[in-house]
Amino acid sequence: MSKIRNDYKVDFVPGERLKKVIDYNQELAYTGKRNLYTADTTQLVYHWTDKSNGVVPRTGEWSYPPEMNLSLGDHGCRVDNGQDFPRYDEVPSHVKGYEATPESWAEDYSFLLENTPVSINPYESIVGEFHWEMNEVRKYYFGDHVHELGREVRKLGAGGTSHGHTCPDFNIGLTQGWGGILKRIEESLKLYERLEQAEKVGYLRGLKIVCQAIIDYIKKYADAAAKLAEEEKDAEQKALYELIASDCAYIAENPPATYHQAIQWLQFAIMTDRIVGHGNGYGRLDLYLNDFYQKDIKEGRITRQDAREYLAEMFLKIRGQHFSIGGRLKDGSDASNEMSFVILESYDMIDDYNNLFLMWHKDIDPKLMDYACDVLARHGASVPSMANYDLLVDCQLRSGVDPDIAWNVAVSGCQWFCLPGREYCDQDVNALVLLDPMWRAIDRGIEENITDFERLMELFTEEFKNTSEALRVFKDAQYDVLDKVWPEMATSLNCHGPIERGVDMTGARGVDYQYTSTNILGIPNVADSLFAIKKLVFEEGAYTLAEVRKATDENWKDNEVMRQRFLRQNKFGNDIDDVDELCVRICDIIADILDATKNNRGQQYRASLFQFQGHTCTDVLPATPDGRLAEEPLAHGCNPTAGRNVNGLLATANSVTKIKNYKFQGGSLQVELQPKFFDGKENIGQYIKNFTEAFFARGAFQINLNIIDLEKLKDAIDDPNNPEYRNIIVKVTGYTTRFICMAKPFQIEFVGRNNYESI
Amino acid sequence: MNSSEGFIFDIYRGTTHDGPGMRTTVFFKGCPLHCAWCHNPESISLNQQIWWEQMQCIGCGECEKACSLSAVKLTETGVKFDRDKCVLCGGCAKVCPTKAISFVGRNVTVDALFKEVKKYQAYYKTYGGGVTASGGEPLLQHTFVKNLFELAHEEGIHTALDTSGAVSFDAFEEVLPFTDCVLYDIKTVDKNLHKEYIGSDNKLILDNILKIAENIRNGEKYELWIRTPLIPLFTASEQNISEIAVFIKENLMDVISRWEMCTFNKACLNKYERLDLNWKCKDAPVIRSSDIENIKKTVENTGFDMNKLVISGLIAD
Repeated sequence: MSKIRNDYKVDFVPGERLKKVIDYNQELAYTGKRNLYTADTTQLVYHWTDKSNGVVPRTGEWSYPPEMNLSLGDHGCRVDNGQDFPRYDEVPSHVKGYEATPESWAEDYSFLLENTPVSINPYESIVGEFHWEMNEVRKYYFGDHVHELGREVRKLGAGGTSHGHTCPDFNIGLTQGWGGILKRIEESLKLYERLEQAEKVGYLRGLKIVCQAIIDYIKKYADAAAKLAEEEKDAEQKALYELIASDCAYIAENPPATYHQAIQWLQFAIMTDRIVGHGNGYGRLDLYLNDFYQKDIKEGRITRQDAREYLAEMFLKIRGQHFSIGGRLKDGSDASNEMSFVILESYDMIDDYNNLFLMWHKDIDPKLMDYACDVLARHGASVPSMANYDLLVDCQLRSGVDPDIAWNVAVSGCQWFCLPGREYCDQDVNALVLLDPMWRAIDRGIEENITDFERLMELFTEEFKNTSEALRVFKDAQYDVLDKVWPEMATSLNCHGPIERGVDMTGARGVDYQYTSTNILGIPNVADSLFAIKKLVFEEGAYTLAEVRKATDENWKDNEVMRQRFLRQNKFGNDIDDVDELCVRICDIIADILDATKNNRGQQYRASLFQFQGHTCTDVLPATPDGRLAEEPLAHGCNPTAGRNVNGLLATANSVTKIKNYKFQGGSLQVELQPKFFDGKENIGQYIKNFTEAFFARGAFQINLNIIDLEKLKDAIDDPNNPEYRNIIVKVTGYTTRFICMAKPFQIEFVGRNNYESI
Repeated sequence: MNSSEGFIFDIYRGTTHDGPGMRTTVFFKGCPLHCAWCHNPESISLNQQIWWEQMQCIGCGECEKACSLSAVKLTETGVKFDRDKCVLCGGCAKVCPTKAISFVGRNVTVDALFKEVKKYQAYYKTYGGGVTASGGEPLLQHTFVKNLFELAHEEGIHTALDTSGAVSFDAFEEVLPFTDCVLYDIKTVDKNLHKEYIGSDNKLILDNILKIAENIRNGEKYELWIRTPLIPLFTASEQNISEIAVFIKENLMDVISRWEMCTFNKACLNKYERLDLNWKCKDAPVIRSSDIENIKKTVENTGFDMNKLVISGLIAD
C-alpha cells in the first residue's frame, strides 16, 4: 500500500487578469452560448437518421427549428453569437455550385475562416473564437445510394456517420509551423503534377488552400492586435495586445519558439480544426509542451504561475478537447514530466470545464498519481478521468498497430483512443443497438418453436452477424465517397501521410490505420434479458417466448407480476457468476464477429463497450425482457442498468472486469458517488487511488468519477437560473458539462443513475 | 475441503468502516446483547426471520394464496405476518414476484464464504484491507470464524474481528491466533447503565478486554481498536464518555492503536419496520458537530492521547 502524499502544495490562485478571463468564459457557458445540440433522439441511438446525416448545424439551411434542439452540454468550441453566417449566399459552393471535391470543400473552408471575425477580448493573452462551423455553410450529403443503405441498416439496428472523432499529431505543427507544412504541401503538389496524378493534385491544391487560410487567419489576429495596441492607453492592456500581436505574427508561419506561443499555436490549431464541426481529441499535452516550458523557465521568460495561467486560458476557450497526460515513452519508461503537473495545477486553479485524462500505468510517477487523485477528490468532476495506458497499447497491438509506434497512443475522446496523426479513428458516431438482433432472435425462436436456450443464442449470434454485415456494407459506401464529401483536411495537415501521399486521412491509406469502431448500445440489458428468458422460459417453463414478446410489446401493461419476475432475476453488475458469464459470452460474440469483419481498407471493425447518450432515448427504445419499462433508460455503456446494482461498487467493478476488455475499443466504469459515500474515509484521494490501481490491475479501461450532491442537482433541474448552480460541472459520459447546460431529459437520466451513497 | 457451516445475514463489499483499509464485512447472525439502539436488529436472533420490504411490494397477494397456515395476510397497509403461526416454510417468499418477502439469515460453508471474500483481494492489496467478521456477535460462531480467518491467512488476507466482547474467553482464544485486528466495543463501563441499556452486566466484557490487553503485552501480535457507538440519550453523555476514556487510559493505553467513536444514524429505521419491531431510538436526536466538539473536549480533559481518537460516521450538520 502506497500512502498518498498530502504534502503537495495546493494553493493555486488565479491572478486578477485571469479572473476576468474566467468570468467572461463562465458567462458564455452558463448563458448557453457554448451549447452543443442534437435534434433527434434517433440520432443519439443509431448515430444516423435519414434527415440529419449525423451532425446538427446550429444555423443555415440544414439546421433544425430551435425548439427541436436538445442541448447535450456546454462543450462546444463555437461561441454562439445568435446570428447566422452573414455572407451565406456568397459561399463559393453556393455561388459556383456544389461539388463533392476537396478543392470545393477547401474553398468553402477558406471563405468561412476569412469571414470569421477576429475577437480579442480585454485581459486575454490567448486569443481566438469562432461563431459558425462548416456544416452551417456547406452541405454534408453522402448521396442517394448511401442514404438508401442507411435506411436498410437502420432497420437492422445500426447506423453511423463518419465524421472526425480522431486525433492529429500536433508535434508536426509545433516543430514545422504552418509555413513548414505549407512548404511540404507545395513540394508534394509539384511531385504529383509531374507524375500526372490529377486526383492527388486536386487534393493537394485543396490542402494548400486550407493551410494558407489558417496562416491568413492568424495574421489577421496579429494585425488586429497591433492596431489595438496602438490605440490602447492602459500600459498593462497595451502590453497584452503587443504580446498577442507579436506572437501571432510569428506563429502564423513559424513554429512556436516560446511556451506562450506554443499555447497560442495550439489554440489556433484546435479552433481551425474544430470549426469543421467535430469532436477530435488532441493527443498528449504534457509531451507537446514540456520542452517549451522547461526552456522558458530556464531562460526566465515565464514563471510556473504564468504557465498555469496561459494554459488555463486555452482550457477555458477550446472546451470539448480531450487531452491526455502520463502514459509511457517509446522505451517503456514513464512519460510524465514537470508539465504533467503544471497541466493538472492549471485545472486545479480554475476548476472549470475540462476533459483531461491521466493515462495510468504501474510505473507512473507516484507523486503525479497522488496529485491527480487529490484533484479528482477535491473537485469531484472526473478531472482527470483515469485510463489504463497499458491496456490501450494492448488493444492497439491487437488491432494491428506496429509495436514500435503503439506506445504513442492517446485517449482521444469520451472513451476511445488512437494513435495521434497516424490513425483515422472512425469511432463514437457508429452505433449498433443490441436490442435489435435480440428481438429478431426471439421472433425467429417463436417461429421455430424452440425449446432450448442454446438455440436462442445461435439465432442471436446469426442476427448480430446480419446487423454487423449490413453496417459494413453501409460504412463501405460512406468510405467510398468520404474524402470527397467530407474530407478532414484541417486535421490531415497534422497527420503522417496525407501530404506525402496526396490522400486525405479519410481516403484509402491516407494514414496507416483506419479501423472502424462501433458503439454497442444495451449490452447489460440484453444480457439481463436473455438471462431472465433462460431462467423463466427455458428452465422454469413459467412463460413462453411468445408471451414475453407480447408483454414487452405492450410495455408490460397489466402484467406487473410477470414483469417483476423478470426484473428480479439476477442482474449483470453484482459479481454474480451466472448472469455475468452470460454477459461475457455476449461480449465475446460481439467482439469476435467484429474482429473478423473488415472495412474496404482491409482494416478491422472494433466494438466499444460504450455508448454516450443513446441509453437515455426512451422514445425509441421499447421495453425489454429484463423487466425494464419503455420509459426507463437502458444501461449506460457496460455499467449495470440504474437501480440494479445491489452489491455495491466493488461488485460492479468485478463484473466489468470479467469482460475481456482487451477485445474492445474502450468502455468506462461510470461512478457517481454521493459525498456521504466518503463519511469516515479519512482520505478520499487515497480511496480513489487504491480503487483505481486495483481496478486497472484487473484489466479495466477507464473510470469516470463524479462526486456529486444529488439533492443539489435535483434542485438545479427546477431552478436552473440560480447562480449557485451555474458552475456545477459533471462528467456525463466521457465528456464533461455544466449540469444546467444539459437538456432536461439528460439531466433527469443523470440523477437517476446508480448513485453510491454508501458501499 | 472444509464444510463447517456459518449462519450469516449479509455481506458488505468495499467497506471502509470496519477496520483498516477496504474490506469485505461478513455479518454473523445471533447476538448475546440487546442494545436499545442496535443498528442491525436482524442480527440479534439466532433464527431465520421473515423480512418484508414495503418499497418492493406491489400488493399482488400471491403470498397470501401460498400460505397454507393463513399466517400471511395482505392488508391495506401491506403484508402482515402472524409470526407465531408461521413455521418459516418459505412458501410466501418463493412465490413473491418482487422478492419483497425474504428470509434474513442463511447458512453458508466456509469455502463458499471465503470464495466471496477472495473476489476482492485485488482491492485489499492496494488499500491494505481484508475481511472483517461482524454481526451480531461473530464469536458465537467462533470455530467457523477461526476457519474463515485461517483460510484468509493462508492467502495473506488481513483479518479483523468486530466483537461485543460478551462471550467466553475460550472463544477469543480460538480466533485470536488468526486475527490481525480486534475491534472491541465498549459502550459503557458503568455496570448499571449497561444493564439498563443492553440488558446485561458488563463484567464479562471488561474482563475479556483486560485479558486481551495482557496477551498483547505478553507478545501476541494483533492490533486493538476500542469502539464506542455515540448514541444521544444513551452512550454519548459527557459522563459516560469521560468514564470510558479514563478506563482506557488506565488499562489499555499502551495496547490500543485507536479509540473510534461511531456516530449514531437512523439509516436502520426501516429494518425495524421490515421485522415488525418497535425501535426505542426512533425519536432520538442525531449527532451535531457541536456535540462532537463537546465530546472531544471531554476526552481531552481526561488527559487522553488525542492522536488515538477517531470519530467516524454521519454528522448531522
